[in-house]
Amino acid sequence: MKIGRLAVMVLLVVLCLLAGLAAAAEHQGPAAAHDGAAVTATAGEHGGGHEAAAAGEAKGHGELELGEILPLWSCIPFACMLLSIALFPLFAPVFWHHHFGKVSAFWAATLAIPFLFIFKGVAAHELLHVILADYVPFIILLWALFTVSGGILLRGSLRGTPLVNTVILIIGTLLASWMGTTGAAMLLIRPLLRANDYRKDKAYMVVFFIFLVANAGGSLTPLGDPPLFLGFLHGVPFFWTFHILPPMLLTCGILLAVFFLLDTYHYKKEGVTAPAEEGVKEKLRLDGKHNFIFLAGIVGAVLFSGMVDWGHVNTLGVHRATQDWVRDGILILMGILSLVTTSRKIHEDNDFTWFPIIEVGYLFIGIFITMVPCLLILKAGLKGQLDFLIAAVKDPVHFFWITGLLSSFLDNAPTYLTFFNTALGRFYPGMPESQAVPLLLQHNGLFLEAISAGAVFFGANSYIGNAPNFMVRSIAEEAGTPMPSFFGYIIKYSLLYLVPTFVVVTFVFFL
Amino acid sequence: MVIKKLLFPTKFQELAFNALECLLDMKKIGLEEIVLAHVIDREEVGFVPYGGYLKEEEIRMREEAQIRFEDWQKALVKRGLRSKIRIEVGNPIPEVLRIADEEGVDLIVAGRKNRSNLEKAHIGSHTLELMRHSSLPVLICKYMVQYERQGERVTQVNEHPFRRPLLATDWSPNSRKALTLAASFKGLAEKILVAHVIEAKICKGCDASEVERLKKESNERLAAYCRELEQQGLAAEAHLYSGPSVPALIDLSREQKATMIIMGTTGKDRFREFWLGSVSHRVAEFSELPVLLVP
Repeated sequence: MKIGRLAVMVLLVVLCLLAGLAAAAEHQGPAAAHDGAAVTATAGEHGGGHEAAAAGEAKGHGELELGEILPLWSCIPFACMLLSIALFPLFAPVFWHHHFGKVSAFWAATLAIPFLFIFKGVAAHELLHVILADYVPFIILLWALFTVSGGILLRGSLRGTPLVNTVILIIGTLLASWMGTTGAAMLLIRPLLRANDYRKDKAYMVVFFIFLVANAGGSLTPLGDPPLFLGFLHGVPFFWTFHILPPMLLTCGILLAVFFLLDTYHYKKEGVTAPAEEGVKEKLRLDGKHNFIFLAGIVGAVLFSGMVDWGHVNTLGVHRATQDWVRDGILILMGILSLVTTSRKIHEDNDFTWFPIIEVGYLFIGIFITMVPCLLILKAGLKGQLDFLIAAVKDPVHFFWITGLLSSFLDNAPTYLTFFNTALGRFYPGMPESQAVPLLLQHNGLFLEAISAGAVFFGANSYIGNAPNFMVRSIAEEAGTPMPSFFGYIIKYSLLYLVPTFVVVTFVFFL
Repeated sequence: MVIKKLLFPTKFQELAFNALECLLDMKKIGLEEIVLAHVIDREEVGFVPYGGYLKEEEIRMREEAQIRFEDWQKALVKRGLRSKIRIEVGNPIPEVLRIADEEGVDLIVAGRKNRSNLEKAHIGSHTLELMRHSSLPVLICKYMVQYERQGERVTQVNEHPFRRPLLATDWSPNSRKALTLAASFKGLAEKILVAHVIEAKICKGCDASEVERLKKESNERLAAYCRELEQQGLAAEAHLYSGPSVPALIDLSREQKATMIIMGTTGKDRFREFWLGSVSHRVAEFSELPVLLVP
């Protein structure tokens, strides 16, 4: 797409949103329209005590809550951003591959420009807050996990029997919560494919690998899956996510048992035997083991940032906890140390490339910026324009399925944050996040369990539910494994194996 | 050391075939086979955000590369050279090195990038990376180069790189390897220019007698190199220069109308090479001539 045409499109959409937002602000009160700084942002309160105090002070002067005046259609750029991620890879994959960064920038600009123009200082604060407090730590964690796990390589000859394959899936599931679903998937997908070189049908193995290693396995810690790290950034304690252990065990237990039976059936049906051990059998070994030290450093840094309180640092008007900056610094250090100390050969043999993490970086800046109005409206609770959603989603079972169904087709990280805020808006509307989150965990923890489990588990329902899914698919297809199409995956696998499992989980835990 | 088999990896940039054509004369010095390789960068077809892998795109790229290579092969057949086509998907540099290893080639030929007006370097980051990591000789083939000389923009076509090569030596073991390789150019090279640059910083603080001793020693070594080449039946000419190595070598190559620079890659420590680049790498980067690096 020519830059000129892109600029014209941005301009047109910006002008439309600008006019609409101005009208909405005018309709709610002249003060809001003419003095953006007078509007208070609920989201600004989750930075901690300082922001809460500032927000409280502002509210005392009777200004409007930003989340209460924003129109529903201010969420359109967010919806379009997510729909772009869902639809472009399906219908225009080549265009999407070469222009996804521009698409992300386009939707970010269509929200940010009119938002800043109308609400000025408050809008700038909101955008900076989401970038500094959410996007930056999010991308740093993903980068660190991606870099460190990319330095670990499993070598050796494996024979893909049903037992060996199941063991690989179990190991991946166990590792996913500690090295991230992306890290565990990248570590084990190639050994799994190599081990099953001689097998005829491998697609279902890769699909179950996506179910377990790239999704459900990451549900135990904030390191496992990005949605849970976003929860951690918003005040959910590190070990709280262990509350999801029972549903995780049930889900993974069912899927592993089904996989073993399925693999045994195919193994016997194919009637193939592993090729005779030609040449020298390479012993199983892990190269780059020292990277587990850096992995431990990452776990330690995230843990420590949730345990200490070193006060706050004001960065461009955004108050962030000092320990959060220190954590981010340690994560970067771990990544750099891994890069420096890992041999080039390991990275080469791992086919290590920065491309996937750069993609995530480009796409998520668009997601985080465009989601700002949506989160503000949800936080306003029944006073915001998403009151119908908050009124409709009442019980844990609703949260589990709605978060899950949306996570199946939209990225699960923003979906988690959306329903996390829906729960806060429902139970504690207008309350600063620092106060609301502990209350939610204490009195209505089951709701957050349902949201967390829904976001993490259902991410496996389609290729677009979670970032590692497409990486695994890409590696499998490159290695010559024909994978099911987008709809084939859902019909042949998700509907058949995942959805019934989630129904069982619902009956056991969320009804 | 005879080059019997070379690897010609290409991204089909402008004038890539012309660059290949100017290497065909190497048949006279023993070249028997050329491996034509095209590496489809994994990032071009893989990891489509939330989409997976562009299999059809890969097939299309493979077919395009195959058709072009088959056309090139006709020219190679006419010249009596064997050829082989390799089209792979992967990370370009490791993949090129892997192909070189599998095929057992004696030389890797690297192209030059399409340079913008703002850039002074004559090679791209991929070629630089290849130079750093290859354990085989690498020829950076710059078929057509534009550069500024005395304020004027000059376009140079390097059609016959082997006609008048300049062997730049620092007396290291790798320089000796470069000498052995240069000695195999009999029948193609009219004359080999053997050069050494006394680094300006070495002379700094030396008295006249010390400088004189250095000059004498260098001239003797140059003469010994020339004698070795002459014993192989090649004409050779010694040149001693002084100054900063890189600009001195580039000036010398221009003054003596060299057609190529041959150098052993110097074994600088990794830290220094990372920040400054070795002399050989910087010559490869900034000279308008093809550069043959011998590790």
